[in-house]
Amino acid sequence: MSTDSIAGVTPKAIFAPDTIADAASRIAESEKAGEAVAFIGGGTDLEIGSPPERLDLCIRTEKLNRIVEHAPSDQIVAAEAGMTLARLQEVVGAHGQRLAIDPPLPARATIGGIVAANAFGPLRTRYGSIRDLIIGISIVRADGVIAHGGGKVVKNVAGFDLPKLMVGSFGTLGMIATATFRLHPLPESSQTLLMRNRNAAAVRNLIAELRTSQLEAAAVVAIAEGTGFDIIVRFEGFHAGVIAQRDRLSSFGGCDVLDADDTTRLWQRHDAVRAGGPLRLKIAALPNAIETVSNSVAVALLAGLTSGGFVWYPTFGVGFITGAPIDDARSAGAIESARNLLASAGGSLTIEAAPPGIRQRVSTWGESRGTLALMQATKQRFDPGRRLAPGRFVGGI
Amino acid sequence: MSASALEARPPAIPAAIIDRLRAVVGDRNCIVEPSQLRTYESDGLTSFHAMPGIVVLPASTEEVVEIVKITGELGLPIVPRGAGTGLSGGAMPVPGCVVVGMSRMRGILEIDLENGWMRVQPGVINLDVSKRLGPDGYYYAPDPSSQSVCTIGGNVSENSGGAHCLKYGFTVNHVLGARMVLSDGTVVDLGGPVADTPGYDLLGVLVGSEGTLGIVTEVVLRILRKPEATRTFLATFPSTREAGNAVSAIISGGIVPAAIEMMDRLAIAAAKAATGVDWPDVGAVILMDVDGPLAEVEHTSAQAIEMARSAGAIEIRRPKDEDERAMLWKGRKSAFAAVGRISPNYVVQDGVIPRSAIAEVLGDIESLAKESGLRIANVFHAGDGNLHPLVLYDVKIPGQEKLAEDVAGEILRICLRFGGSITGEHGVGADKAPYMAEMFTDDDLETMSRIRCAFDPDARFNPGKVFPTPRLCGDRPGIYRPHPTELSGQADRG
Repeated sequence: MSTDSIAGVTPKAIFAPDTIADAASRIAESEKAGEAVAFIGGGTDLEIGSPPERLDLCIRTEKLNRIVEHAPSDQIVAAEAGMTLARLQEVVGAHGQRLAIDPPLPARATIGGIVAANAFGPLRTRYGSIRDLIIGISIVRADGVIAHGGGKVVKNVAGFDLPKLMVGSFGTLGMIATATFRLHPLPESSQTLLMRNRNAAAVRNLIAELRTSQLEAAAVVAIAEGTGFDIIVRFEGFHAGVIAQRDRLSSFGGCDVLDADDTTRLWQRHDAVRAGGPLRLKIAALPNAIETVSNSVAVALLAGLTSGGFVWYPTFGVGFITGAPIDDARSAGAIESARNLLASAGGSLTIEAAPPGIRQRVSTWGESRGTLALMQATKQRFDPGRRLAPGRFVGGI
Repeated sequence: MSASALEARPPAIPAAIIDRLRAVVGDRNCIVEPSQLRTYESDGLTSFHAMPGIVVLPASTEEVVEIVKITGELGLPIVPRGAGTGLSGGAMPVPGCVVVGMSRMRGILEIDLENGWMRVQPGVINLDVSKRLGPDGYYYAPDPSSQSVCTIGGNVSENSGGAHCLKYGFTVNHVLGARMVLSDGTVVDLGGPVADTPGYDLLGVLVGSEGTLGIVTEVVLRILRKPEATRTFLATFPSTREAGNAVSAIISGGIVPAAIEMMDRLAIAAAKAATGVDWPDVGAVILMDVDGPLAEVEHTSAQAIEMARSAGAIEIRRPKDEDERAMLWKGRKSAFAAVGRISPNYVVQDGVIPRSAIAEVLGDIESLAKESGLRIANVFHAGDGNLHPLVLYDVKIPGQEKLAEDVAGEILRICLRFGGSITGEHGVGADKAPYMAEMFTDDDLETMSRIRCAFDPDARFNPGKVFPTPRLCGDRPGIYRPHPTELSGQADRG
């Protein structure tokens, strides 16, 4: 798969602007030429979405990799879209801070890409997703005009929330040029605990137990690669609080406190399952639906995969199923059934990566309930020529 | 709003339309008597007012749909309204408009503690949500100072904050879904109890859109388990400079307080006069909450107190019990109203600056007070740099009201000079629309207005708010078109 292709579609040309102004003039030219354009950051999520109907130009943000502003005492950072998450963390980490988001592949994933794909990792448990951390944005519109929304202060309600509109928009409304985020202090201490081989009911019970006990985990993840779940809980913060919470959770019984090496290995295992493939499905359901999700959705899907894995974030009800399909038709059928089951309870299933044999059989995004017309109207206002990644997004947007 | 505008007769709503609206909501929920309409002519910002043509009080989404459709036949402007506690003129009617008041839609429809959400109608009072959840050990985090009277629908419109949003975020971080009625009467559900609905984050755009995109008729709220422990302390300082340094030290120390509030000498005097809190006469106080697991908050509160002392605190007070804690917070939350005890009139301003600029900005505000001869009290959410300067004046002294408004406006310009914002939580509304062009470029505003055009192409909902000039949604975006009420001389800003 080319590193410049979007859901398998390769562009006719690639352009890597040195500055945002260069990007803006190239996008303005593309409007005159009627070219279809898409944007690429680190290329970690290019499989997400339906294949674009046409693609003349890909703009790579790799050279737009500067810090625009880091104000440690105000705990904010603004960076150009092409800066990798790892580099950003290095810069702010030198001041004892972090952007509290941890999607897979931080050395490649760019902040523009993370915003565009609404990427996240285990820390979402405590800090929310990128929409909860972004405070400002600048974009290049489809006509090459640069526009800003939000600001560089944490609290700000002036004007419509353009930053949130861009979160998860997959380059279909404009190019993210810079983004500004709220930062958090790096925790003084961190401790990971593991509960092995539990069933789905135990996952559900653990969340209830954490809540009853008023323990505040930074991350909770359940991973299933065989029959049972391994549940990972991480506490972060000041040492005294972390130790006290660790000891209380340990007192529930049946859980191991991991040392540094085991902790690293365990989180690597999580990342590997998350980034697995070539099939990757994202599922969402109410957190307490884990038993149904596990027994009726995950089991059926995993039965058709080799090297299959299931990662579930039990506090907010989102998970990923990854693996290699044994038979495309069979997996497509299982996806369709799983999607229907999830949708009937208000949930969703989206295909984040899949072999062509599956993409041909089943829709990438599924049905969108009721809001499609409003989304289409939004697209129409931002990209009236329908040139930005046409067809990649929900409902053929 | 000029005096002549107040006296001007709004365009009459045809009797046939009124009759049909009565049929939808019932006679008593359809207000057309001028004496009764007067109740609705402004929100908390009473210097901005205009008479609506009619006020309708629906009881359901279906009734809202009918209202929107019926009034849509004549393209009548609609202004949604919660409790009318807003401070930016966001719920001020457009002359002759249809005000849709949510006071009858105050039901709590569904609570799901296990999954952490509840569904409510928009007219429910903010504090009533947490009161309902309290016995089970849960709460709703956003806590605007007006929480005992303001509504969830109003909070959604304004993306309301509150003292505790430093740690927990704003309304937008706590709204999971909304049902809304669009200008053609279509009902849509944005988001919902299940995370990550595929598609654009239109819910994120709706929250804080100040009633300009449609009428919200149901809201799904995130609810949280109460923290195990909360530690509160009040620290007194010789001046705001030492207090500001204490705030910076605490936050640089890696502590994320649940709330950290500051009041200056004048605001302290007002709070004492109004609530009877026995605070000493000092230059500044900080009121701080840390919450979370017990061991964590014991540690962070001890550290924060140490930092406050190092920064020059005169005295640290720790409440002995929940009553004492409530009293400390009462002193803070009643600060705006308390200023009424020391001045006949005042303007409440709402601006944001980078936290590190607090000392400098307060210096500039002090100079502004000296130059203008007006007193300015400062109450603010120090952790996130959200200032609430209160400009005191006496309306009986000719020219002072205008002077106070000018001074308040100048404070916003100071915020902008330091890279801040013209509003942190009160919204743009009618009051600050003219300042939008000082914070954003024409291109920025035109881009934002595209969202408005996608939702409400005829700009029926809350016209004239947020944006400095009305914008056209047709083929010529950005071309200025005077609002009909401007042409007829009924509305002007003064």
